[in-house]
Amino acid sequence: MRSSTDGWADALRDTGHLVAFRARTVRRRRASAVGLVVVLLLTAGFAVGPSSFDLHTSGSSALDRAVSALEGNLGGTFAGFLLLAISAAMGSGGGRELLSRSEVAIHPVSPVTEHLGALLLAPLNLAWLVQMWSLLAITALVTPPERLLGAQLVVLAWVLAATGIGQAIGWTAEGVRRTTHGVVVVRVVSGVVVVVLAGLHLAGALGPLVRSLPTTWMAETAQTTSWPVAALLLLALAVVGVVVGARPAAWALGLQPREELRVQSGVHEARHAPAPRWGSPDRALLRRLDRGSVWRSVGMRRGLLVLGIGPGLVALVAGLQWSSVMLLPGLTASGAALLFGVNAWCLDGKGMVWRETLPVSAADVFDVRALVVAECMAMVSGVTVVLALLRNGLPPLVVGAAVLSCWLVVLVQVLAIVMSWSIRAPFSVDLSSPRATPAPHASMAAYAGKLSLVTTLTGMVFTTISTGPWAWLPPAMAVPFLAWSTVRLVRARRRWLAPAERARVVLTVAAV
Amino acid sequence: MSQPPPPAVLVRDLHVRFGDVEAVSGVDLSADSGQATALLGRNGAGKSTTMKVLAGVVPPTAGEVTVGGHDAASDALGVKRVVGYCPDVGGLVPRATPWEHLQLSARLRRMDDWEERGRDMLERFELGDVAHRVVGGFSHGMSRRLSVVLAALHEPSVLLLDEPFDGVDPLGVEATLEVVADARARGACVLLSTHLRDLALEACSTAVVLRGGNRVAAMQAGELTGEAYRALLD
Repeated sequence: MRSSTDGWADALRDTGHLVAFRARTVRRRRASAVGLVVVLLLTAGFAVGPSSFDLHTSGSSALDRAVSALEGNLGGTFAGFLLLAISAAMGSGGGRELLSRSEVAIHPVSPVTEHLGALLLAPLNLAWLVQMWSLLAITALVTPPERLLGAQLVVLAWVLAATGIGQAIGWTAEGVRRTTHGVVVVRVVSGVVVVVLAGLHLAGALGPLVRSLPTTWMAETAQTTSWPVAALLLLALAVVGVVVGARPAAWALGLQPREELRVQSGVHEARHAPAPRWGSPDRALLRRLDRGSVWRSVGMRRGLLVLGIGPGLVALVAGLQWSSVMLLPGLTASGAALLFGVNAWCLDGKGMVWRETLPVSAADVFDVRALVVAECMAMVSGVTVVLALLRNGLPPLVVGAAVLSCWLVVLVQVLAIVMSWSIRAPFSVDLSSPRATPAPHASMAAYAGKLSLVTTLTGMVFTTISTGPWAWLPPAMAVPFLAWSTVRLVRARRRWLAPAERARVVLTVAAV
Repeated sequence: MSQPPPPAVLVRDLHVRFGDVEAVSGVDLSADSGQATALLGRNGAGKSTTMKVLAGVVPPTAGEVTVGGHDAASDALGVKRVVGYCPDVGGLVPRATPWEHLQLSARLRRMDDWEERGRDMLERFELGDVAHRVVGGFSHGMSRRLSVVLAALHEPSVLLLDEPFDGVDPLGVEATLEVVADARARGACVLLSTHLRDLALEACSTAVVLRGGNRVAAMQAGELTGEAYRALLD
């Protein structure tokens, strides 16, 4: 008879096989290796670098206040990482998959292996990395150099523990979602949590509540000689989280994915062909088909709603300054593009070959697909801007001009980048599961890094010029950005129009 | 004496290369209107790639390809207007319904009264009940049957069917054979690629055998006995 230890040992071995299989399918090994080294260097840099700043000798009271605030909120930042781990696992239907559902179907892969795979893939998420780097950097900033090693070990132990706990809660939520009325239950509970948090914040009770959490004790203990106690406790918690998480994983994966099945067997009554007032009817019909492909996907619909509402609510509730709001459209547009835009042709899946036999110009196909990607990005980033507007009221003219210019620039920027990637490096993927991604995980991590870097830097440029007195400057500054992105977009379009290039994309996406 | 009409499909020395791989190396092929031609061969013989070139999906690397009077290299859009193509794999947009597929195909080909024919064809292929259900949940056989419907909806002058019998039940096979017979009767050129010799012989009057990206034989279908076919494959 097999013992439970055999189950875990087998699962660990199988996870190793799956990781090795995925690693062998990486196309650009050198770029992936460079990416990994960059991430490790950045991690080391954030963990050590800030401790070299001697803030107490600066003499700046504003800086002192900022450091005190960071120190006081370190426990809250720890708690924030847990919240992120939970929402990431919930948003991806329990967690990312090492192999897609159709690929894994023929192999005897246990739920424990799926669980371990999801845990391994959790760091391939920009929000996870950025939050970890923030924790390391803030800890380095507020901890005396002689205590830094212990404090950072506690941080890393917390990152492991929070990821394990988040994964367990994510699987539980996915299990509930797969029960009768489970989708409604998860939506209602999530809504209630958001409303309660918003209410607590508006009542001024959220800060004290967060500070009373055990994470505050953890953050304080990390900076003392008792750090080994905290580290050992957290490592034990991480092990418990990983082991316990296998239960809800097995439960969730043993249930039918109701929402996906409902969508896959969804009935959509016939509608008349669109008769647009302007533009060609062919384009209108293609647009309808492409929009249907987006909104009839569980993962994309869920992602667009979260991206649209989440950052907007933060802007609404927390009352972010316009200088911070300026960064959000780029990040939310990037998030929307990461749902499918980075591999835009994957919307058609294996139907790409049939689409290509239709007597419609390749230019129309490209333009419509780019428009649908742009629509999704404009929608989610637009919600953020509108909610910030509701909270902050109309900004001064120069700030308003900067926000609008920045928004337009990042939209065109991200669109040009992702349409170029879609032509240059297409992938065959099945997006029927919300656990699926439009590109392999390593590529997704690289895409997320590049998009957020570009849009954040752009946002910073416009934030800087919004402090000046000239309302004409932001639109003027937008022109070179827009010109460069347009050149890039036109180049991608030209590449698509070349029959041999298009055939390569079609055959790759359709995997024939 | 009048000249015989030019062949509906004419392929001369077709080469298709994907990077270092030459998928088709020197295929010659000719198929007339009102005739059904079987394209036979083992896996990797170049049948599906040849079909994709004829459908205007893949441009020829070299050689001459004319479909319904249109040059596949320079006028792919013209080719797509005269062709109806059932691809060998998938061929359906996963989150669209069969009716939406038919609507798009018909509107882009400027068909005004297509609904009745579309409904009739879906019924013939026993897909009437699922006309408004997204195809992502379809079985392989249902997807194949819908692909044949999509290829034949607009009564193309060149009908390309790539493995239309793959995973299809006997009723679906019968319906597909009827589509081929109808197309021949109205004067269309049919090219049918399959591994199933018996069905190919039932549907087609001539047969072309490909091996390793080359044409190795062209004959009347009746002449292609089991032994002869086997000998051509080895």
